[in-house]
Amino acid sequence: MSEIRIGVYVCWCGTNIAKMVDVEKVADEIAALQNVVIAKNYKYMCSDPGQDLIIQDIKEHNLNRIVVAACSPRIHELTFRKALENAGLNSYMFEMANIREQDSWVHTDRTDATKKAKSLIAAAVNRVRFHEALDKRTVDINPASMVIGGGIAGLTAALEIADSGKKVYLLEKTGQLGGHVAKIDLCYPYFQSAAQFVKPLISKVLKHPQIEVFFNAAVPEIHGYVGNFNAKVKVGSEEHELVFGNIIVATGLKTFNPSVIKEYGYGALPDVVTSLEFEQSLKNGQILTKAGKEPKNVVIIHCVGSRNEKYHHYCSRTCCMTALKYSNQIKSILPDSNVYQLYADMRAFGKGCEELYAETSRKNIVFMMFDQRGDLPVVSKAGTQDKCEMLVNFHELLSSTDVEVPADMVILMVGTEAHENAKEIARAVGISMCGNEFYIEKHPKLDPVATTTDGVYIVGGCQSPKDIPDSVSQAKAAAARILATICKGKVEVEVTTAVVNEDVCCGCQTCVKVCPYTAISYIEDRNVSYVNEVLCKGCGTCGSACPSGAIRCRHFTDVQILSQIEGLMEMVLIEDE
Amino acid sequence: MRYRVDANLKTELKKFGSKDWNECFHCGNCTAVCPLTENNFLFPRKSIRQAQMGLKNKLASNLDPWLCYFCGDCSKTCPRNANPGEIMMTLRRFMTSVYDWTGLSKKFYTSKSWEIIFIMVMFIAIVAAFGVFLAPARDIFSNASKYIAPESGGVLINSLVPGLNGHQFVKIIEIGDLTMAAIVASLLISNILRMFYFTIIKDKSVSVPFYSYFTEAWQLLFNFISQPKFSKCDNKQYWLGHFLLMSGYVIMFTVIVGLLPKFQVEEIFPWYNWQRILGYYATFGLLFFIVYSIIGRIKKKQIKFKFSHASDWLFLIMLGLTTITGILIHFFRIGGLPAATYIIYVLHLAVLVPMILIEVPFSKWSHLAYRPFAVYFSKLKKAAYKKQASLSEFSKAA
Repeated sequence: MSEIRIGVYVCWCGTNIAKMVDVEKVADEIAALQNVVIAKNYKYMCSDPGQDLIIQDIKEHNLNRIVVAACSPRIHELTFRKALENAGLNSYMFEMANIREQDSWVHTDRTDATKKAKSLIAAAVNRVRFHEALDKRTVDINPASMVIGGGIAGLTAALEIADSGKKVYLLEKTGQLGGHVAKIDLCYPYFQSAAQFVKPLISKVLKHPQIEVFFNAAVPEIHGYVGNFNAKVKVGSEEHELVFGNIIVATGLKTFNPSVIKEYGYGALPDVVTSLEFEQSLKNGQILTKAGKEPKNVVIIHCVGSRNEKYHHYCSRTCCMTALKYSNQIKSILPDSNVYQLYADMRAFGKGCEELYAETSRKNIVFMMFDQRGDLPVVSKAGTQDKCEMLVNFHELLSSTDVEVPADMVILMVGTEAHENAKEIARAVGISMCGNEFYIEKHPKLDPVATTTDGVYIVGGCQSPKDIPDSVSQAKAAAARILATICKGKVEVEVTTAVVNEDVCCGCQTCVKVCPYTAISYIEDRNVSYVNEVLCKGCGTCGSACPSGAIRCRHFTDVQILSQIEGLMEMVLIEDE
Repeated sequence: MRYRVDANLKTELKKFGSKDWNECFHCGNCTAVCPLTENNFLFPRKSIRQAQMGLKNKLASNLDPWLCYFCGDCSKTCPRNANPGEIMMTLRRFMTSVYDWTGLSKKFYTSKSWEIIFIMVMFIAIVAAFGVFLAPARDIFSNASKYIAPESGGVLINSLVPGLNGHQFVKIIEIGDLTMAAIVASLLISNILRMFYFTIIKDKSVSVPFYSYFTEAWQLLFNFISQPKFSKCDNKQYWLGHFLLMSGYVIMFTVIVGLLPKFQVEEIFPWYNWQRILGYYATFGLLFFIVYSIIGRIKKKQIKFKFSHASDWLFLIMLGLTTITGILIHFFRIGGLPAATYIIYVLHLAVLVPMILIEVPFSKWSHLAYRPFAVYFSKLKKAAYKKQASLSEFSKAA
């Protein structure tokens, strides 16, 4: 093995690091460490001149290991690996020390922060000595895709992919396409008819030669990995074997069942209806109570099941604007009626929405605020002298008054929540959920439609409550991502995977049980475990569980980790003396 | 206590003035700048909220609009141009109609034709009454010198009607004056009792300690005379204008109703005599206010003049006509023009009587009585709140 020659680069990150860490002193002291040929500091290592500095030094000083002390590797590890590649080094001969998020940003004492930076860099230097060159691997992509869910997001994604000539399998659990949007009369904020755009979308999907729709489909069992998934889709007694390269989960959400909130009397009082039920009567073109009369007083209660610690603490996003839409529709159908809005917090974000709120509030509609943390409004049957069918009693916050509101019809703006079988679908496609059973995206800002499982994308309401434009944008984004990988034809897969030393493996199958990605299988005739490297994410669970030490995790070998810890401790000990 | 919400009250309130009740989104800037704000008296946001929600009973027990002098600080600060000051004025008109048991107040405020027809009828009735029962002597034109006092050259104002001596003429006018005052007073007193019922008795959130009825009674007179709350507002000019108007009006009213035999006499006093000094002061006060307000309402530069309800204009016009005719009587008398004096005298009464009958019990001028009582009642409420607070503190300590 040739001589180890390490280059260390300490980044200022403008003032982010430099203000709390004495970068020049750190670089000077690190230069004294064993195998460190050169140690420099620079204002922005991630900038082009910063990267060029590394490339130049590699060539000039014949470096074969690089350590960059800067921000989190989640942000710039790939940047620097690319730089190494450009200089002709294997990209895995690199280690990053995080002296920003883990140091300068969280400390207030410059001396301490400088000391810590040295320890972290020493650990990285120690580790990088034992790095090995790893080769990139790619797999072929099957150009077909599966879309689960035939709502507005699923339809859009399916069409987007199919229009480029690629095959799409669209799975729908019910007997019809369109999802919730198909149940809506007019959309906020511009009062367009939903049917006008969703019906053409459905018929286009049904007629599309590249789209195969499976109605009444059960959640399939899916195997495989990015580029090469396969599934058995059951429709009744039939079973279809499908092979595809990517999956879009567009399973949407369902509305909250308000009968659990006793105060609102849903189910007990005939004219307490959910927003979706009211939408149906709007679609039928008339607003009537169960007794067939036109309601004189309509009370709209917001945040039913949303933003309440007892039910769901999150905002369902679409209900406020839908309530405003109802107010306008009621006022136009029944101009003499009184509309009362009981809200916990009006939220009118989104294009055209604040304008709709302003316009609606000028229409003699009474907006009143109740406290979600206190007692909820109570809907009860009115007495004969009350001149209305029901009374809604609550404490109004802005006037600090106990009030009663006359009502002939109460509309509950039900929130939205994940489907009961959200977990089942998550398990089938191998993605994870957040606390509310909505699916988690890979990165909330920079990668909002991908998941941590390559080749599986989440769009629309299954990720979080969403309105139509957001769902459609996500669907198109995911379709673009998939088409990009199909265009490439191949996809890079992780190389920092686990590998079994078959000579040492005793075939106990502990690793098979602990693997969260079902990447390890047991080969009976040889009595050993085998890691499918495409499925393996390199999480290291098997490596730590293996009783005989037969499993080695590439790039996270025992010697790499131990020497990293040693480096960290050594510096601490030296400083303390 | 639960209050009924009513979406239709806003529509009803629009007729009393302010057009847009929905602009306010309760940021509370108005409350922060209002010099009147203190605990439990949150000007003017609280009243606006009650109006927006149509809490009719709550509004009826609310005294805040009476305490407001419309300095306009709130409207200047409002980020939504909701003009909270004007909303307070609108609520004052509305409350006048709530206290008024006859229902006429509401009619006058919400219908211009009701108001104008009433004024016309009264005007014609008074002119006719003079024409029929108190017609002037026929030779008032041809033989003017007969009705002029030779030593002063002034018109013998009480001797223009044949068959009546000076005492008798003044007596008749005085009886008319006192009748008018009695009508106005009985209406006001009964409405103030209703105001007391709505704001103190019916408001279950307060129980007024009995002693405070006496300890706070001085507020009535003090506030009536000095209007100390108004002087808290930023613009002192408003306070001055308002004070001149109020004192001038009160002096005039007292002099012509209570002291008519001493005031409407035939001799011309020297300028430094008390009758003339009081008269000039009152006339100046009224004129200053009328001119200031008319210019303001035409220019619409100051916030308090931006919006004018029909009743605001009618009040200024009636008061202006009364004042001008009053001034003319004075000059015609001194100038020795008996016919002109008589005609203007009749016209003066013909505008004065309907003005007083409409304005004092039913319209804008009722605040002359309501405001001091509102201050008094609000002091009672404050005493009640204070007692409640000390009681709850006591129970906490225990």
